[in-house]
Amino acid sequence: MAEVVLAALTSHAPMITGKPEVSRPEQRDRLYDGFHELRRRLAAARPDLLVMFVNDHLQNFPYSNMPAFCVGVAKDYDAPSAGGARLMRIPPRKVPGAPEWGLALLESGLAAGFDFAYSHEIESWDELAVPLYFLTPDGTIPVSPVYTNCGAPPLPTPRRCHEMGAFVGAFIRSRPATERVALLATGGISHWVGTPETGRINPEFDHRVLDHVARADAEALTRLTEAQIERDGGNGGQEIRNWLALLGAVPGWKGEVLAYEPVPEWITGCATVWVHP
Amino acid sequence: MIRASYTLNKILTALARQHATAERLTDDDLVGHDLSAAERAALTTGDITSLYHLGANPYLIRRVFRSRFPI
Repeated sequence: MAEVVLAALTSHAPMITGKPEVSRPEQRDRLYDGFHELRRRLAAARPDLLVMFVNDHLQNFPYSNMPAFCVGVAKDYDAPSAGGARLMRIPPRKVPGAPEWGLALLESGLAAGFDFAYSHEIESWDELAVPLYFLTPDGTIPVSPVYTNCGAPPLPTPRRCHEMGAFVGAFIRSRPATERVALLATGGISHWVGTPETGRINPEFDHRVLDHVARADAEALTRLTEAQIERDGGNGGQEIRNWLALLGAVPGWKGEVLAYEPVPEWITGCATVWVHP
Repeated sequence: MIRASYTLNKILTALARQHATAERLTDDDLVGHDLSAAERAALTTGDITSLYHLGANPYLIRRVFRSRFPI
């Protein structure tokens, strides 16, 4: 059986890389230190695949065809594209995909009644590009993303996202023992983006989420409703679905918060969390 | 929960995918789209609050009308 050699949760706001100079240096340094520590741990874990639980920002999936869950089966991913690179101020690049692995997950899901959509072409926005800028600077580890609709309501329930992650975890454990898989979920924590409350952050919600993650208590988070998350975590807080998916894949694993900073200039409660047995 | 406006989001999605930004849209941008008077006014004045309440996706509002946000 394949092994999950590392799991981590991070935020993914575009201004983390796009506007570092506007943030307070001490906050920026602490958050960057968290990313750098994750990079060291990722390198030490020597994964040969990075499965990422992420969400689109209307860059790929339009309102004419909006999947709840979508497996990426592209041969590579723009992370970022030339257009996104201007905003995120990181060089455009392509990271390799793992289409055979993605197709196997897709087929396994369809056979078991988990009906993923799939996509052969995805332009990553900050969901891949920003965390990978820190975590895989040489961009050599193949990436297999699983996209969840966190931004175009109605959204899949947090519980269903957790179940989806559990399915992915079971799939990983059904794979050959030679595979070394790292899991990374990006997004959240609280942020209001594009709404009349843009710029608001709710550290109380963020700490509540982090406390549950630290105790391996995903169950409490799966009971949150879309309306509750919107009220307390903002529309960006809906991205904790990605975190819940990852936690579903590694039941019982606990989070160690490496950094948490509510950065007003980046309009996001930003975190880096290592998740371990 | 605000119900999404398909027409608003279709227009904004097309612009966001080109990585285009604007202070406001023009009537030429809106040719061929079936919009209410309120939707048309919000797009042509760049009224980000009205767009939100009319059902434009906030990520798309942010992307297209980025300069309208103070932060």
